[in-house]
Amino acid sequence: MFDLLALLPTFPLVGFLILMAGSNSLPRRGVVAVGVGSMGLSALLAIAITVNFLSAPPPGQVFEQHLWTWFEIGGLAPGFSLYLDPLSLAMTLVITIVGFLIHVYSAEFMRDDEAFARFFAYMNLFVSLMLMLVLADNLLLLYLGWEGVGMCSFLLIGFWYKKPANGKAAQKAFIVTRVGDTAMAVGLFLLVTQLGTFDIQELGVRATEQWPVGSTMAVVAAALLLGGAIGKSAQLPLHTWLPDAMAGPSPVSALIHAATMVTAGVYLIARTHALFALAPVVLTAVMLVGLLTQLTAGISAVHQRDIKRILAYSTISQLGYMFFALGVSSNGAAINHLMTHACFKATWFLAAGAVIVAVNHEHDIFKMGGLGKKLPALFWAMFFAGCGPFFSKDGILAEVWFSDTGGPLLWLLGLFGVFVTSIYLFRLLFTVFLGPLKNEVHWKPGRAITIPLFILAVGSVIGALVEYPRLLGYHPHSSGIEAAHASPYLHATLGKIAVGVALTGIYVAYRLFVRHRHYDGDEVIVPHIRVPLRNLFADGWGFDRAYRVAFVAPFRSAAHFLRNELIDRGCDAVVAVVQSGHRLIRRTQTGRLRWYTAGIAAGAVLSLGMVLFS
Amino acid sequence: MSRTDLTALSPLLVVALAAVAVLLLISVRRNHRATATLTLAGLVLGLVSISWAATVTPHQVAPLLIADGYALFYSALVLAAAVVVCLLSFDYLEQRGEQREEFYVLLLLATLGGLVLVGASHFVTLFLGLEILSVAIYVMVAYARSSPLAAETGIKYLVLAGASSAFLVFGMALVYAQTGTLEFRPLVAQLSAIEGSGLALPGMALMLVGVGFKLAVVPFHMWTPEVYQGAPAPVTAFVATVSKGAMFALLLRFFAALGPGEARPLLVVLGLVAMASILAGNLLALLEQNIKRLLAFSSIAHLGYVLVAFLASSAFGDEAVTFYLVAYFVSTLAAFGVVTVLSDNEREAERIEDYRGLFWRRPLLATLMTGALLSLAGIPLTTGFVGKFAVVAAGVEASLWLPVSVLALGSAIGLYYYLRLVVVMLSSLDAGAATESAADSGRTPADPGQTPAWPRAARVGGGAALALGLLALLLLGLGLYPGPLMDVIESSVSPLR
Amino acid sequence: MELGAYLAVSAVLFVLGMAMAAARRSLIYVLMGLELILNAANINLVAFARFKPEIGLDGQIGAIFVIILAAAEAAIGLAIVLNVYSRFGTIRPDDIDELRQ
Repeated sequence: MFDLLALLPTFPLVGFLILMAGSNSLPRRGVVAVGVGSMGLSALLAIAITVNFLSAPPPGQVFEQHLWTWFEIGGLAPGFSLYLDPLSLAMTLVITIVGFLIHVYSAEFMRDDEAFARFFAYMNLFVSLMLMLVLADNLLLLYLGWEGVGMCSFLLIGFWYKKPANGKAAQKAFIVTRVGDTAMAVGLFLLVTQLGTFDIQELGVRATEQWPVGSTMAVVAAALLLGGAIGKSAQLPLHTWLPDAMAGPSPVSALIHAATMVTAGVYLIARTHALFALAPVVLTAVMLVGLLTQLTAGISAVHQRDIKRILAYSTISQLGYMFFALGVSSNGAAINHLMTHACFKATWFLAAGAVIVAVNHEHDIFKMGGLGKKLPALFWAMFFAGCGPFFSKDGILAEVWFSDTGGPLLWLLGLFGVFVTSIYLFRLLFTVFLGPLKNEVHWKPGRAITIPLFILAVGSVIGALVEYPRLLGYHPHSSGIEAAHASPYLHATLGKIAVGVALTGIYVAYRLFVRHRHYDGDEVIVPHIRVPLRNLFADGWGFDRAYRVAFVAPFRSAAHFLRNELIDRGCDAVVAVVQSGHRLIRRTQTGRLRWYTAGIAAGAVLSLGMVLFS
Repeated sequence: MSRTDLTALSPLLVVALAAVAVLLLISVRRNHRATATLTLAGLVLGLVSISWAATVTPHQVAPLLIADGYALFYSALVLAAAVVVCLLSFDYLEQRGEQREEFYVLLLLATLGGLVLVGASHFVTLFLGLEILSVAIYVMVAYARSSPLAAETGIKYLVLAGASSAFLVFGMALVYAQTGTLEFRPLVAQLSAIEGSGLALPGMALMLVGVGFKLAVVPFHMWTPEVYQGAPAPVTAFVATVSKGAMFALLLRFFAALGPGEARPLLVVLGLVAMASILAGNLLALLEQNIKRLLAFSSIAHLGYVLVAFLASSAFGDEAVTFYLVAYFVSTLAAFGVVTVLSDNEREAERIEDYRGLFWRRPLLATLMTGALLSLAGIPLTTGFVGKFAVVAAGVEASLWLPVSVLALGSAIGLYYYLRLVVVMLSSLDAGAATESAADSGRTPADPGQTPAWPRAARVGGGAALALGLLALLLLGLGLYPGPLMDVIESSVSPLR
Repeated sequence: MELGAYLAVSAVLFVLGMAMAAARRSLIYVLMGLELILNAANINLVAFARFKPEIGLDGQIGAIFVIILAAAEAAIGLAIVLNVYSRFGTIRPDDIDELRQ
């Protein structure tokens, strides 16, 4: 059964190839059959592998499939090998099942798009590369997947490329993540040259052997990897691309920018945990990045009007929670939140996409209202799905309290995040679905949209009741869990407090946005807050503006200034040299036979002369 | 001649007999399809007979030819390339009304020349193989007699090839004067025995002219763009691959036998030649607007890359050379294959404008062309990347810092023009239509209702489709999974040193 | 005669041949120039084989091969020159330069 592992990424890859080859000739039905069908096969296979993994676990809960050695040159032998352990299994399940449901949804959602086949081709390619990323057992394959999903993200954000803003958003995403990716590439290079292997597991072993805890090498390597993770997972300060990435179709936002690709950073840190354990400083940085991102993005989410931007900031904030958990070495809690959040956020994005279409492409939630009566299915799916992550977050918070590196203060800050989360989520839900009807609904989602929504919502609710990673056998060592088990009463009390805070948040949202409907967006949720501050929050803490001021503008003016200056001259000079080299050397191609004969004779003389006089 | 001799020479014999058989067939009855089929059968049989010959390796046939693993590997490469060229030629010639059948005799003879060259262990066989190959190619490049360029291409190639092989013979005579033998192994032994090389070294320096011409490296490269442009596309594919590969096989065999002391001055010359080729080839290709000329210039650079690995003078370098040549064969044949099937009987698909928006018109062909170009540029996951990686690794291992950095520089320039072509194929049709119709204004306009895009959609014939499919498979397959080929190459180059 | 004399003749022939191939204004002479170079080489081969009897007959046999192949080359060459003439109406190498951009 495990031998079929390689088929997981192969199905969508084949789907991609068929769709690309037949993009002009395949009928829509065929496109759906190939695009969704390949994902269905992958999802089924993933489930079958999971069942097998749980009923008859491979030795050490690890299955390695060596497919082939890419090449063996000069002692370097990178291979195409897959690595299945509970962690990659958890990721695989999320990618294939959530991916499959989103594909089903897209079959209806994108029905009228002219580039139907292209959409499914990109989506299939994305899934294939994402699976390669999580199943890779060496850095090279992981990097291939890492860059590949970045490329797919670029292609899909700019999917409706005829609108220039979308192209800009795609470029922004690409460039901002590139900052992180460059750091990561340097980090990978460092690891390979220092430790002499591509194999991720071997890398961890060798690092532990060769580098003492806190050694410079370990800190630098871990910090560089963290850079990559921050870019991919849209954490402070490289989070600015994600809100703009909402320019892509809603299924893309759901799959790539909520459920899967943006969690690659979390996965990377969990996967290379052995390395991060050697660098406590970096681990603290992970925690701080997570905490700050979680708070700032949460507060920004409360001040957004655009339904997809709310969800984008919410995603950033929830990813912040995962980093927060990773930072206190609670990987189990982080992955649990990752899985639950994937179900939850996919539901919300898909539902939001449907809402947007239903109200004629209106994005502003304050221009919507009372849609609960018209679109009850969406409302209930979102409502139920929204409950799941509160519980997985409680798990994180409890571990933060008990962890060696955490503590009550961090717990309190995390708790504030819970409060903010419940406010912005239910602000959205209440504003859009409750109250008087404000919009005409001229489209109702069909079954291909509602059924995936409900399955995902159920997945989120179940995630509230059980811990998915634990179910799959993923329970890495964590000081927090042990301490929590040692004092069950306090543990239970903390959980109750967190639920209480969440419910308070919901109540506040209810008071503000249902009972007193005098807030129509320009108002704020905390009435005494000052206007400039409010604008700052709505602006996402001004990061975009700061970057414009700090990087883009100086770069532009420097570019402008240097247009006729030294550096640019230098670049021009390179071009000029190459081009004049071309022109110069082209003159030798005279087309004259005698000239060529003379050339050969001259060559002979040169060759002879060099041999004789050397 | 013993039975073993015949077995060892079976690939040569099969191809030679096939040439005679095709000649006889033509004299009995002219039939293009039958001729092509017979030729194909002969080439495939030649390939099959390699496994038969492999049962007696290594075997020296008289002092003239040697059948070892190395010779057989390159024989297989030459024959496989000839099969591809044969498949491509059928559809290409089918569209053209001239006498088509004799082409196959020439193809078989040229292949035979290549086979003799890779098995040569004596200067006389070297010259014989070289001339069989050259004389057949003289006619092949000038084969399309109705084409205005054929005669010019033919005469240019003939005069220059003749001059360079005259240098080769003269050099041979000088080496012979010093060593008293024309056979590789005793000759090399003599060279290391005598103090001061006397006439031998100048002789070998002159021989490099003949070798360099066939490889089309600077400064013996000037014929390349014109012959590539003027010859029919399948012939260009043949000239670009078989004649260079066979010559390189011989060069490698000779230098591997040569001790480092004797080879040193010649390696200095070849090092300069390699760097000059990389720079000149890439610079010349930079702004070229004609695809066939562009590929000609790029092939100059590619032979420069191979020379870098060759300079390493190590077993690993030999492997890198061989793998790179395989990768170059596959990519070049794929690129010229696409050019061939896009050409019609009016003209060849050689202008860059012909490729504008090809992705939207002929997605599969455009994808294959992109694959071939990316492979030539050395982008990962293609066979070209593995080849270039091996070449660089061999160069670094031998501490050839200067050639390796020139190689890196050349590759950077190369990336520009390969990707430019890819971008042209990806760009939308509308953007190109205006310039294209302007460019085409001199020609009789095509069906006015249709897009002015040229070339007009022609169906790819079965044979060409088979060849292109095979090449596409190899292009990606050898890039992803080069392991088995590496192993084969490793064992086949092992008898060299 | 001494070996040196043969070598001198051969060297002179070689240079003359090269000069003809590169400088003459008719393709026929160019082809003749090529023949001269080949024959210069032949003289060398034969002379060495003759004056250094200890080194065997390789050179003589080599020369025969060269003669055969030179003939083949000349035959093809003349055929192509005929083609060139019928196409361009001239056999001056300088006039044959359509393949140029």
